[in-house]
Amino acid sequence: MRILVVGGGTGGTIVANNLARRLSAEIRARKVRITMLSASDKHMYQPGLLYVAFGQMTPDALYRDQASLLEESINFHVDPAAKFDLDNKRVTTQSGKVHEYDILVMATGSRIVPETIPGLAEGAESFYTEAGAVKLFKKLRVIQEGTVAVVVGVPHKCPIAPIEFVFSLHDYFKARGIRDKIKIKYHYPIGRIHTIKEVATWAKPEFDRMGIEYETLFNVGEVDVENQVVKSEEGTETKYDLLVAIPPHRGMEVLEQNNLGEGGWIPTDRFKLTMIGHDDVYVLGDTTNLPVSKTGSAAHFEAEVVAENIASIIKIGVPVREYDGKVYCFIETGHDSATYAMFNYQTPPDLKSPSKPMHWFKMAYNQMYWTSVRGLL
Amino acid sequence: MSTEDLQRLVEVAQLVTAARDAMSDEIVTRMAGAMSEGITLLDRLTRNEGLMHLLKVLDRQETQNLLIAMSDAVHSASQEVSAAPPAIGGLGCMMRVVRDPGVLEGIRLMSIIGKHMSHSLREQHRQGG
Repeated sequence: MRILVVGGGTGGTIVANNLARRLSAEIRARKVRITMLSASDKHMYQPGLLYVAFGQMTPDALYRDQASLLEESINFHVDPAAKFDLDNKRVTTQSGKVHEYDILVMATGSRIVPETIPGLAEGAESFYTEAGAVKLFKKLRVIQEGTVAVVVGVPHKCPIAPIEFVFSLHDYFKARGIRDKIKIKYHYPIGRIHTIKEVATWAKPEFDRMGIEYETLFNVGEVDVENQVVKSEEGTETKYDLLVAIPPHRGMEVLEQNNLGEGGWIPTDRFKLTMIGHDDVYVLGDTTNLPVSKTGSAAHFEAEVVAENIASIIKIGVPVREYDGKVYCFIETGHDSATYAMFNYQTPPDLKSPSKPMHWFKMAYNQMYWTSVRGLL
Repeated sequence: MSTEDLQRLVEVAQLVTAARDAMSDEIVTRMAGAMSEGITLLDRLTRNEGLMHLLKVLDRQETQNLLIAMSDAVHSASQEVSAAPPAIGGLGCMMRVVRDPGVLEGIRLMSIIGKHMSHSLREQHRQGG
C-alpha cells in the first residue's frame, strides 16, 4: 500500500506522522510505504508571525527542519507536486519524478494573493509572511501618531487573526504611551465585526472599551497608495498613515492548474474528508472547500480523522471515524490575556472571559506545537 | 469552617497569586519548550525497540552479573594498565599475550557474543526486520 502525502505543513506532517505510528508494523514488514512531497525543507509555525509583528518573537524561533519533525520511516522529498493524474493514481513532481500511489493525501495549504486587489500589495503591510511581519514591526515601532487602518481580504487564513491583531495593536501602543495619539480603525467585509456571530458579539464591546473604531460592510476595492486612502467596493474610503491588510487567500496554484478545484480549493466531503468523486484521495487543512476555518487546529483535527481512517482501511478494510467540524482557536486579546473559541458543525463557540492563564496556555502551545506536529499531542 | 481552615485557604491563595505574579511569558515559553522537547525525547526512547529490548535484558539477573563483572573488569584493567610497563611490541610480545589464559578466556567470551549476535541478526533479517 503506497500512501502519498502532498504538502508538509501542519496537516500533512501530522497525518504522515500519525500514519507512521499507527502502521509501524506494516511499514516494517514492507506492506506500507509513506512518502511525503513538500515545497520546502523547513517547517514554519505560522501563528508565530503575529508575535514577530510586535517584536515578541524573532523569525528564527518559528522554524524547524521538516525532516527532524518526521518519523524515520517516512520517505521525505523536497520536490513539490506539479501534475496530478488522479485516474491513473500518479503524481509528477517539479523535478519530473513520478510517484504512484494507492492513497493520496492532499495537504497543500493556501497562499496569499494581495495582488488581486489594486494597490494592496504596494500600499499595505501584512504579517502573513516572515518578511512582511518583520517589515510591519519596523513600521509599528517608529509610528508616533495618526491612523492605523486594518482591512480584511476574503477568504483568508486564520479567521481570528484580524481581531487578535487589533487587540495587540491597542496594547502595543498603550505600552509605548502613544495610544491617545493613534486612531485604530478596523474594517470588515460583512455586516458585523467578525464572521463568527458569537465572536462578533463578544468582540464588539471589547472594541468599544478600547476605543477601536470599526466599519462593517467594507470590502477592499482599491488602495490609492499615493494619497494613502483605502477604498471599499461599497463606496466608502478611509485615509490612513499605516495600512495593515489581512490579505485574501487562494488555494495553491498547482491545484488550479490541474483543475482540481475552483480557486485552488478542492471539493471535499465534509465528514469523510475525501475528495468528491475520488474515495482514494483525502483532503485536509486549508486545501478543502469546507465551511470551516482555515486554521492549524482544523488541519490538526482533520489530520487525526484522516490518519485513523486510512490506518483502519488498511487494517480492517473500512473507515471508523467522521470529522465533526471541530476547530479550536486561541484568541489573544492583547499582550497579556487571551480566550478561546471552540466549535464544530453543530455547536457554536461559547467565549469565556479573557484571562492571563489562557494567554500563558497560548504561549505554552507556541512551544508545544512541535510536539503536536510530531503526532504526540 | 474554622478560622484556622480559612487561614489555610488564604495561604494557599497567596501561594497561587505569588506563583502567578512570579511567572512571565518567557518563563512559560522556556518551561513549555523544555517540556515539549522532553516529551519528544521520551517518546523516541520508549518507541525504540532496541533500547526497550536492552532494558528488558538488563533487568535479568545474569545480565546484571555480567554488568557487575564488566565494571569490575574495567576498574581492574585501568589499575593494571597504569602499573604495567609499556608494551615492547613485536611477535614475541604478542605470543606472550596470547598464551595468557585470561586473554584466551576474554577472546572466548567475545566469540560467544559474536556467535549469538550473528544468529540474532540472521533471525531478524529472516523475519523482515
